[in-house]
Amino acid sequence: MTNEFLLSVESVDTFIGQFHILENVSVNVAKGSITVLLGRNGAGKTTTLKTVIGLTPPRSGRVIFDGEEIQGKRAFNIANLGIGYVPENRAIFRALTVLENLKLAERKKGDLDRHADMIFELFPDLERLSKLKGNQLSGGQQQMLAVARALVPDNKLLLIDEPSEGLAPILIQQMMEVIRKLKEKTTILLVEQNFIMASQLAERYVIIDDGRSVHRGLMSDLVLNEELIHQYLGASIQAPTRTSEAE
Amino acid sequence: MKNIWKKDKGFVIFLLAAIAFPFVFSLLGQTSLTEGTNKFWQGQLINFFIMAIFAMSYDLLIGYAGMLSFGHAASFGGGAYTVALLLTYVAPDIVKNYQIFIGSLNITEIVVLLVCFLAAILVSILIGLLFSASAMRVKGPYFAMLTLALATALNLLTRATDFVEWTGADEGMHGVPVPYWINPTQNRLTFYFIALVFLVVTYILMKRIVSSPTGRVIQATRENEDRSRMIGYNPVTYRTLAFVMASVFAGIAGALYSLWTVSATPSMTSGVTTVNALIMTILGGMGTLIGPVLGAGIMQIFSQFFYTWFGARWPLVFGIIFVLIVMFLPYGIVGTWRMHGFKLKEGWQRFWDLLKTKPTAEK
Amino acid sequence: MSHNNKKTLYTVIGVVAVAAIIFGLYSYAGQESFIRTVLSGLTLGSLFFLVAAGLTLIFGLMDVLNFAHGSMFMLGAYIGWQFYTNPTFIFGVLPLLLAFAAGILLVPLFKPKLVRLELSDVWQKRLPKLMYLAALIVGGIALWKFDVIGLADTAMVAAVTTSANPLAELSAQEPLLRFMWRPLLLMVSGALVAVGVSRPGDRTEITAPEPLKKRLILLIVLVILTIVFTLVRENASEAVLLMNGNLRFLLAIITATGFGFLLGALIEITMIRPLYVRSFFIVLMTLGLSYVLRELVQVLWDPLAYQMVRPPLFAQPGRANTIAEWLMNGSSTISIVGVTFPTYRLFVIALGFVMFIFVTVLMTRSRLGMVIRAGVQDPQMVEALGINVKSVFTLVFALGVALAALGGIGAAPFLPVQPGMGDQYQMQGFITVVIGGMGSYVGAFVGAIILGMARAFGDYFALKWQLSPTIAEASTVIIMIVVLLLRPQGLFGKKD
Repeated sequence: MTNEFLLSVESVDTFIGQFHILENVSVNVAKGSITVLLGRNGAGKTTTLKTVIGLTPPRSGRVIFDGEEIQGKRAFNIANLGIGYVPENRAIFRALTVLENLKLAERKKGDLDRHADMIFELFPDLERLSKLKGNQLSGGQQQMLAVARALVPDNKLLLIDEPSEGLAPILIQQMMEVIRKLKEKTTILLVEQNFIMASQLAERYVIIDDGRSVHRGLMSDLVLNEELIHQYLGASIQAPTRTSEAE
Repeated sequence: MKNIWKKDKGFVIFLLAAIAFPFVFSLLGQTSLTEGTNKFWQGQLINFFIMAIFAMSYDLLIGYAGMLSFGHAASFGGGAYTVALLLTYVAPDIVKNYQIFIGSLNITEIVVLLVCFLAAILVSILIGLLFSASAMRVKGPYFAMLTLALATALNLLTRATDFVEWTGADEGMHGVPVPYWINPTQNRLTFYFIALVFLVVTYILMKRIVSSPTGRVIQATRENEDRSRMIGYNPVTYRTLAFVMASVFAGIAGALYSLWTVSATPSMTSGVTTVNALIMTILGGMGTLIGPVLGAGIMQIFSQFFYTWFGARWPLVFGIIFVLIVMFLPYGIVGTWRMHGFKLKEGWQRFWDLLKTKPTAEK
Repeated sequence: MSHNNKKTLYTVIGVVAVAAIIFGLYSYAGQESFIRTVLSGLTLGSLFFLVAAGLTLIFGLMDVLNFAHGSMFMLGAYIGWQFYTNPTFIFGVLPLLLAFAAGILLVPLFKPKLVRLELSDVWQKRLPKLMYLAALIVGGIALWKFDVIGLADTAMVAAVTTSANPLAELSAQEPLLRFMWRPLLLMVSGALVAVGVSRPGDRTEITAPEPLKKRLILLIVLVILTIVFTLVRENASEAVLLMNGNLRFLLAIITATGFGFLLGALIEITMIRPLYVRSFFIVLMTLGLSYVLRELVQVLWDPLAYQMVRPPLFAQPGRANTIAEWLMNGSSTISIVGVTFPTYRLFVIALGFVMFIFVTVLMTRSRLGMVIRAGVQDPQMVEALGINVKSVFTLVFALGVALAALGGIGAAPFLPVQPGMGDQYQMQGFITVVIGGMGSYVGAFVGAIILGMARAFGDYFALKWQLSPTIAEASTVIIMIVVLLLRPQGLFGKKD
């Protein structure tokens, strides 16, 4: 059972301080697929990603990655198993240059050299800007850098949190292209508020509501299920409409 | 009075014990009330009373207002130097030239002493305001460093040879002419009770302050500055208020201390004095008023016995205990007691149950 | 853009003001006094930088204000002075420390097996505690009747005698056959601690397979070193004392710095790491630590002030005219543009500048520097990239303490070596860091120079106006307050 999933989050409970953020959340990610976490703001999607990578370790439940239990391990150990994390809000290192940001993500010497061609092909801007400091980049460029950073080492799984947040429509298109290309090589667990983007990219979805994983299934089914979308995603479906108008 | 008894049994018992101590001691040991060992132990207790006031004032700062100041010795030393300077250079002239009577009672010396205390309070308010004005805008470690820097500057001034005629520089001032009626060497029992009165009054006042609306805002500011700002209280004002109040009590403690030691020395303004207050507060428990008093008491006992046990380097043992307390009992004795008191009770209960059921178990 | 214009304007105003101050001081004091005061300022500034660099790095990365930094400066001076004057104490204690460290380094060996043990939850919690207790008892037995005070007193022998070989007057040490047991037992004690630290039975702990080899090599090296130092513990001091004085001084610097590094790592792992969640208590902890260290030094070496002899390179009376002449003759003073200046202080200035360059290269060119700069902003994200941030914290803390210890031994030949010698430097280090901006090593450097100059010129004016130097020292606080009021984040600090 676990063999077909690269990552299985099995009924985890996560607390931040004394707040019970995740309650019995289960998420499975099949190898070579994109699974998207949907849900309202503050539902616990970001915390789910952080629970996987080990930044907010779960209090109970299991997280199995590639056949190994990883819950309770330190974040750097988990990352070194082959998980790349792209946090929300473009958390790149502002005091480092673009090149340094990428170099920092190396796990073995030469990681960047091996993947540089691939990365700069996906993000041609970054090569041009490689000497600039992180805080000199525009928001979109920062987001690109945050994704690029996760591609430097050989990751089996990418956790990508809100790649489209605050991006101009044209950049959202570009980001979608990038993620689509990445899918060919790796497995992705995505958090995305932009429903259109999510529905075009992902094969499977998990809806998180109020810290619980309430619904899961194939994306192709969800698109048809207006009721479910309304019930759990509510306002968040509005955003993509605007974007599609802009297109 | 009944109210206090209900709320604070521990303190009332302590108070009664402290009042009775000299008399009981003299009865039991068949010794004089004002001589020998009785006098010695009174001295120990006086030191304890003064340090308790100082520790409580420090607790008001770090425990209640959440400001880790390393400059508390400045207020303490400020009070001590004010009283010592006034008594040495101003008071003798006044007492010689003017006399104030109530009826036929000459109260000149009392009035002069009161004025000295008022001056000490004034100086400590000024010190508090000076510190606040320069340090209140910064927080956390910056605040700690700035207060330490300011206090160090004051300490350097008390050591500076430029004022050697007045302050005695490194030597400090010794043999301050403390009036006969309150002089701790000649009239120790009087001084004992005066110090006790100061302690009690400070305790009650602090209790009032802490539970007053102002005190509650100060504590709320410690927990969440933004929230109290949103409700409409200016945190800077309240932090300043807390700082000045703590400074005043520290100044009073310093003034008393200079009377008690009939001296004022640079060590009273030095970092070690602050660290002592810190140790007493942490040991007893931050954020509780009785904690620092307890801490001061323990420190007094330790300094007495540790010296005989470990020799001149007893602070080493004390420092190790302090480090261990920070590591394992961060809420101090009182804090830990309050947290675990319930569990402890439960534990005892289980222990008793175990004893009771033992015979049946053997059977 | 207007923001940039404003910045340029302020920079220009700043440069003009600094130039005006320099010119004003130059014309007021005259060339000779000016140069001498500037050199004194640079000497002080160098020492301030060595203290402040560690403070600012540690604070920037992990928000820890190390109130024991001055004690580290003081310890560096004591260790260096001991090594230089009479290393008997150091060589007597070294095998014990090495043995204990070797024991602790068994962790990676034990861990993979221990975490797989089948243990009930109760024993999982109980076993480490039992192990620590056992370690304490074994350690106590190991150190039973170990005459550490006697060893420390050897320094006094050296300080009193002026004969060529101060060891001649030394009382004999414990015979090797008896001493041998101490490192052995301490290694066992360290191993017991290692078992406790490995958290036996805790399956959530994982062990990285790769670094094991490296650690194993380190362990073997340590064991060999322990054995070697146990054997040579008596002869080594003599060998060191018969060495060329300059070489011995160099070794003293290395020893003190290395000692600082190890002590820093030890403090971070045992005392600070458990408290990161309660940062308020870290300050208290470091404060308590400085209290303990100061008392400990007084237990070992009495509350006295010692004067370390200057190494021969700086000791010959007489004035050199060029640097080459100084290096040839080892003159105690040198003439710089007609101003006579002690050569040793020149060395301290060089030390400060070299360390600034070292720190700069480390921060801008090395991977560690990159990690530090990233960690200042977001340690969690650095961790999520697969970098062990905790060990970086340890490294940075150790590095900071090593710099402070280096400052201590650097200062030892011209400052009295005494328990409170670090206090002043810690204070000035704080002021430096506040002026320069927390977390910025460039700020620490500039702040240190500013403060050094302020102290030097303060002393100059105090002398001129017949005030005591204490007043000049006290007035440096004013600089700090002015900077904080004008620019609360410091000159090079970033607004958050």
